[in-house]
Amino acid sequence: MTPEPEILALCCNWCGYSAADQAGAGKIPYPAAVKIVRLMCTGMIDPYYVLRAFERGFDGVLVIGCHPGSCHYKSGNLQARELTDRLSHVLRTLGIGPQRLRMEAASTSEGPRFAEVATEFTETLRRLGPSPLREVA
Amino acid sequence: MTDGKRKVGVFICHCGGNISDVVDVNALRESAAAQEDVVVATDFRFMCSNEGQARLQRTIREKGLNGVVVACCTPKMYEDLFREKAGEAGMNPYLLEIANVREQCAYPHRSDPARATEKAKALVGAQVAKVRRLQALEVKTAPIHEGVAVIGAGIAGIHASILLGNLGHKVTLIEKGPTIGGNMARFDKTFPTLDCAMCTLSPKMNEVFNHPNVDLLTYAEVRDAVRTPGKFTLTVLKKPRYVTDACIGCNRCTDACPVSTPKSPIKVGSEWDVGLSLRKAIYLPFSQALPQRWTLDADHCFYFQRDRACRMCERVCPADAIDFSMPPEEVKVEVGAVVVATGYRPFDASQIPEYGHGRHPDVYHGLQVERLLSSTGPTGGKLVKRDGTPPRSVGIIHCVGSRDEKHRPYCSRVCCMYSLKYAHLIRERTGARVYNFYMDIRANGKGYEEFYQRVASEQVGFVRGKPTRVTDVATSPEEEGKLTIVVEDTLAGVNLRVPVDMVILSTAMDPGDVDGLLASLHLDKTSDGFVKEYHPKINPTETAVKGVFVAGCAQGPKDITDTIAQAGAAAMSAAVFLGSGEMTLNPLVAEVNPDLCRACDRCTEACEFDAVRIDPEGLVAVVDETACEGCGKCTVVCPTGAIRVRQFTGPQVVASIDALAPKAVAP
Repeated sequence: MTPEPEILALCCNWCGYSAADQAGAGKIPYPAAVKIVRLMCTGMIDPYYVLRAFERGFDGVLVIGCHPGSCHYKSGNLQARELTDRLSHVLRTLGIGPQRLRMEAASTSEGPRFAEVATEFTETLRRLGPSPLREVA
Repeated sequence: MTDGKRKVGVFICHCGGNISDVVDVNALRESAAAQEDVVVATDFRFMCSNEGQARLQRTIREKGLNGVVVACCTPKMYEDLFREKAGEAGMNPYLLEIANVREQCAYPHRSDPARATEKAKALVGAQVAKVRRLQALEVKTAPIHEGVAVIGAGIAGIHASILLGNLGHKVTLIEKGPTIGGNMARFDKTFPTLDCAMCTLSPKMNEVFNHPNVDLLTYAEVRDAVRTPGKFTLTVLKKPRYVTDACIGCNRCTDACPVSTPKSPIKVGSEWDVGLSLRKAIYLPFSQALPQRWTLDADHCFYFQRDRACRMCERVCPADAIDFSMPPEEVKVEVGAVVVATGYRPFDASQIPEYGHGRHPDVYHGLQVERLLSSTGPTGGKLVKRDGTPPRSVGIIHCVGSRDEKHRPYCSRVCCMYSLKYAHLIRERTGARVYNFYMDIRANGKGYEEFYQRVASEQVGFVRGKPTRVTDVATSPEEEGKLTIVVEDTLAGVNLRVPVDMVILSTAMDPGDVDGLLASLHLDKTSDGFVKEYHPKINPTETAVKGVFVAGCAQGPKDITDTIAQAGAAAMSAAVFLGSGEMTLNPLVAEVNPDLCRACDRCTEACEFDAVRIDPEGLVAVVDETACEGCGKCTVVCPTGAIRVRQFTGPQVVASIDALAPKAVAP
């Protein structure tokens, strides 16, 4: 049996993390292999964090910030969007594949959306199979 | 480790079963105890209880802990509490982290306890890994400056100022216009009690005007705000009135002023009467205006606009109070807190051209009707058409701009009630037939539904439907000379054409024109354009900027009842803040390693808060810790890793990622 895709979710404190809290409080199920790291803003995501996650065997990285225009710090989410766009090309070059990195927005109240994104991304990764780096290890 | 051997304690909360019914807490405790540097791992029924807190403190003291992970609910619940308790027990509060095993494990994965437990182990492991790399942070405080500035002297600002003044705070009340009173001063009656608006407002205007603790700055605008620890320095521009304190209020200047006379080339609409009457260039906005100081409007004055001629007002003034050379004055206001009470503007009804506002003279918007009904208004309180005759039928269109995806998606909350108020007053005073065109009637305040039922029983027509247009093109004899409202009655399922003499547009509330002010105070707006509150439910008067509070329609549409309530709450929040004497500065902000910094300016360019600057002497970036919000954008653009956010440094974040990573990878 193929193992459950392992996902690192880098969530901003204000929107993504709160949306995950809402999903939990609402008892809305999503795959347990989605693991969250809380950051103050998606704008503080260093490209190294994403590359490190793949190096350490994650099958996918999910970045969840505020909706465009409602970043708690004005524009951190836009910086994160630029970064993930550029990183996608890098992941393609590395043979990891751009589909394994995804950025989404979910506001504080969007618990169902968080669960939906987490579930849907898991399905995508399941279709892709395990990350090549996970197999190497 | 800079502080010797790390000793981490892990405290697992059962949450009375919420966690322990799903997550195997014994397995979790054993897994935690096996982590590096963990010297104690324990579990308890309720960590947030008094006994739970006492256990935490006792263990910190007994084991000499310098790192704690509490595995419980979301950090948004009790992180602050546990940090405070850890601090009391002698540990640096910033060496404590929460592992969110309730919202992220027990709740969403409760159908799969085995996986929930495995995930909980990973989350605790990640937080232990992070805590092992945390640094003790100094908790800095800054004294809060005395005094509070209230911006906007409508009913919200007036009420908040009186309360703060009564509590002994020095209040500076800043009003952009020449008088205090705001929009409420223009109203005729207030729903649902039909009190005279001015009779309830005027005593409060006088109270705030004469309050020994309230300094009033009228005809003054906040141009800039600078935040330093515990203090806001506002730069306020006092516009020149060109009338000195010597003014005795005789009104001779206004009588003599040639502006807006029938032959005058310069005519100016009265702001007070919302353009329904003309005013002179030198004027008092209305008879109860405070301060009772005349104001000369240079933009519409012959002296300023036509080669320094005229001087009629100067000639007739018995007190020599006219001073054409009066300069604008800049004042610095230093305060510890700011209350934003900048109110609302009526939605510009001409944005919906189908309704003919500005094209058909007898189409009025809501605020104009207040003036038409008011005894101090342009018609002395007689509701008449532009030709001076009373209307025999009036149509009131609800939700003009509101609840409309093309204009304002939100409900403006007052329009239903003021429409019903107009319906009642028009029936009572003119006997005209009145039709309401509504989508839904929202009468949800104390006494509001009762008022609706009363108006409904007064032979007022209600048509459920949103009119498509108002037209003066008659298609039948009874429409001749009338304005015809075209609408589908959605209850009866028929298309109607309703000819009336006068149309009232119940316009939406728009936020005030305050973008510059909000930007200088670093305040955010919600998607509707109103000031963003700290939390819409449990903290509607505070903002994300410590020391800045919001009251009244600045935060969102509301009626006078709610405005008063929120102004009181904002005043209370501001008083508690000022009374605390000092504020804790957030230590989770950026810091610079000067040895690595090359002064390349990328961090200063990335920063949205002007919190980093390059010190030209040392050629090194310097963080203003009071302005830094800790978002970390700068850390990503820094080419050398010189700038980082405390407790979110690269090694700390990477330690968490590694701990969460699939076990298949060898370390």
